[in-house]
Amino acid sequence: MNKNIKLIFITIFLLPLSYVSSFTIGDIPIQDEGRIKPLDTYARNHLLAFYGKRSISKINLSATDWLLNLVLDPEAGKNLKIFNIRNPEVVSSIFLDWSTDHKYSFNQILPGLRNQAALLSIIDEKPNNQRTTFEKQLIELSSNAMRFEEISYLKSLRLIPPNIGSEDEEWISPLEFILNGLNPDNYQNKILNSLQQYLAARMENDESAMTSSLVVYESALKNIPKNLFNIDTLKKETWLNQVNLFYISLGFYLFAFLMLGFSWMSNPNTLRKLSFLSLFIGFFAHGYGIILRMIIMSRPPVSTLYESVLFVSFIVILFALILEYFRKDGLGIFVGAVGGTIFHFIGFNYASDGDTLNMLVAVLNSNFWLATHVTTITMGYGASLVAGFIGHLYLVQSIREPSNTAYLKSVYNNMFGVTLVALFFTLFGTILGGIWADQSWGRFWGWDPKENGALLIVLWQLMMIHMRLSGLAKAQDFALGMSLNNIIVAMAWFGVNLLQVGLHSYGFDDGVAKNLFIFIGAELLFSFGMYYWSKKKSKRSISI
Amino acid sequence: MILHNIYKIISNPKIFVYTVLWLMVLVFFGTIAQKDIGLYASQMKYFSTYYFILFDYIPLPGGRLTLIIMTVNLASSLFKKNLWKMKKVGVIILHIGGLLLLVGGGVTAQFSSEGNMVINEGGNVDFVDDYHRMELCLVNISLEDSLEYIVFDDELLSEGQIINYERLGVKIEIISRIENTRIQNRVTLGDSIYKGFLKEFVLLPKEPDKENTQNRPSIIFRVRGSDNNSDGIYGLFLGQRDLDIFDFKENQYFTEFRRERSYLPFSIELLDFKKVLHPGTNVAKSFSSEINLIESKVPRRVLIQMNEPLRHQGYTFFQASFIEELDGEATVLAVVKNYGRLFPYISSIIMSIGLLVHLMVNLPKMIKKKPIQISE
Repeated sequence: MNKNIKLIFITIFLLPLSYVSSFTIGDIPIQDEGRIKPLDTYARNHLLAFYGKRSISKINLSATDWLLNLVLDPEAGKNLKIFNIRNPEVVSSIFLDWSTDHKYSFNQILPGLRNQAALLSIIDEKPNNQRTTFEKQLIELSSNAMRFEEISYLKSLRLIPPNIGSEDEEWISPLEFILNGLNPDNYQNKILNSLQQYLAARMENDESAMTSSLVVYESALKNIPKNLFNIDTLKKETWLNQVNLFYISLGFYLFAFLMLGFSWMSNPNTLRKLSFLSLFIGFFAHGYGIILRMIIMSRPPVSTLYESVLFVSFIVILFALILEYFRKDGLGIFVGAVGGTIFHFIGFNYASDGDTLNMLVAVLNSNFWLATHVTTITMGYGASLVAGFIGHLYLVQSIREPSNTAYLKSVYNNMFGVTLVALFFTLFGTILGGIWADQSWGRFWGWDPKENGALLIVLWQLMMIHMRLSGLAKAQDFALGMSLNNIIVAMAWFGVNLLQVGLHSYGFDDGVAKNLFIFIGAELLFSFGMYYWSKKKSKRSISI
Repeated sequence: MILHNIYKIISNPKIFVYTVLWLMVLVFFGTIAQKDIGLYASQMKYFSTYYFILFDYIPLPGGRLTLIIMTVNLASSLFKKNLWKMKKVGVIILHIGGLLLLVGGGVTAQFSSEGNMVINEGGNVDFVDDYHRMELCLVNISLEDSLEYIVFDDELLSEGQIINYERLGVKIEIISRIENTRIQNRVTLGDSIYKGFLKEFVLLPKEPDKENTQNRPSIIFRVRGSDNNSDGIYGLFLGQRDLDIFDFKENQYFTEFRRERSYLPFSIELLDFKKVLHPGTNVAKSFSSEINLIESKVPRRVLIQMNEPLRHQGYTFFQASFIEELDGEATVLAVVKNYGRLFPYISSIIMSIGLLVHLMVNLPKMIKKKPIQISE
């Protein structure tokens, strides 16, 4: 174990070093959607919106390169098949033929969109929830085409910081300087010049001139008197984009699961340790990704639905590791690897919507409450789900080996312990939420759907604990109860957003409803199925 | 002996289990119902009542009754002899905290009041509008150096009620109260029984909005006994700009139907309302109201913003909303007076201590692989 710890420490020290690198074109700051981000993020998110992926792997082109090529040679860029249209109805509505790769160039889609101007303006007037899927996709395509064109002539590239004002001031794009005849001040001039030099050198393919112009660019940025952004933070974000820590953590979780599987077949101890180590490294990468995101946005770990998924899975793994540390029999690894993997996929699903580092609406803009209430309640979700997982395992185990009472008893005790921890976090997360509401809306409790969702989790757990206490629930019933608790957590977490009422109704997603119902159905079927099966089994074993 | 038996029944933890179960049912359906009937109506129907009627026949316990039962059960369970043991000290502390939370909820439900204030930039307001209750106001504008206000409370204004106001010798009969109003031109003019605004318009009910504050309530009433041609039917609605004036015994009155006001011992003047967006987006970054809190004619400057309310003399003022019009901005401040607001703070501290103590005593036994009987 000693060796492993050393290894982990070495990785801890090596990881941050890898982004203390030179200033690249991807690192240059740009203002977009209310925040200052590196050009790399901007390019990736736009390519994702147009193309569906964050790079064009077919021609081995990174997002930043794609964007710069477009700026330098708009005509070639407009002929590149960059628009990914997945709906044949949309394709035929803009007078194009459905092709198997469903990729079209800007020059291909533009005439069709112009032809549909009347239809588009009708759709535009409708509120979003009344639009059909086709209408949503068509209007999205049209706004994407507009954004694409704005990028191509540098209009939407707000690269130049304003010479007066604060962080709430809008940045200026190179085009605006020309159009509005603005007179750049000293450092703006420097930035514009070095950008020009960089682009010229890029045209010529002159590597050394590109590098030297970037050095000038960086020094110009450093000389800006106001503290609008931090170059190191921009570099960190570009690094995070490239490394994609959450893919790494997913890889380790999958590997941990695989090793655990092999350890059951042969050589239990060594492979189990390897599996534990793999889970731990994945956990480290996972946590490091979360910490970097916190540094970049300078806010607590959870402030959007996507971040809650990342953080809940982090908590699940944390509990799993603790459990495994004490039990040393693979149960913790199983919970962690399976839970971590599932949540990573849910997270990727949310990340595919675009920038995951969004600015927050005014009421959420409070680091103190995000750090206390939101973090606590998401930890509660995580712990509840771990208890639920163990509940499932208990039911399965009581079918497989109903006679092994010592093992079952220990799992039961674990489950009860985790439930108490879960109750601690959900209860205080909920109360803290009430206190936040009292501080900012003037009432502790307003029966708002999200509040009610959290309350349901708390009540369910209180009920299970008291059912056990009053003898209404035995071990299997308790396991069933905690398994079903997963449904309540899922409803409180994702479900209340579907109601679209109240103060918490952010992050609505059409696809969520379907997935949620599938999950609830599957969970009900599995939990009750296992429960009755295990009851039957235990009766039989008693009668024998 | 009987007392002991009663005690045994009311302190039974099974009661807690069943009330929690019922509360969950209420919370679940109360939440789903919000999609159709809105937050306020659902709160009134399921949570803020002692009972409600399902399908016209079946009376079921509402949120309040359920929580009272839970409170009694919890309180009585604290007197159990076998609870008071050293290893259960965490559990005892926890339950005392829980009890305090429930009691605080009761205090808030009974004694708190809330409303809002709408203040224009440059304006000065010293009253709070109730969210739901209305009042009918007659203002005597014939006095030399003052205005006389005659105000009728919400209770007097339900349909069919007749107000016999003897001081003026006038009778006001409430013909109808409309929750949400549609205003239409009157097709047939000239019926002299209709007075003021109603001469040319009719007030008709329309589907109430889910959010009660979005509704435009109105009232139609008949005045009798004014001894002149001011007798007749009047209609008033919330937010009416041209107020009806009628003569009565040499005095002129104008009438107003408005949200019930409660007056503050101080006033608030809005100096400036600010809305800051995240640059280049339509997403609000912050809202703030710069105000003067004027008490005995001495102003004090205060900045109220999201998550940073003003607390003064038991009242709390929150930045709730704003109104943007062509001729300027107005801020909307939510105003709350809550005597129970400290309960959750205290009880959550007590409860976290209790749970931590309990976890520290018991958790090591629970995560170990070796099965050990744990205390409950």
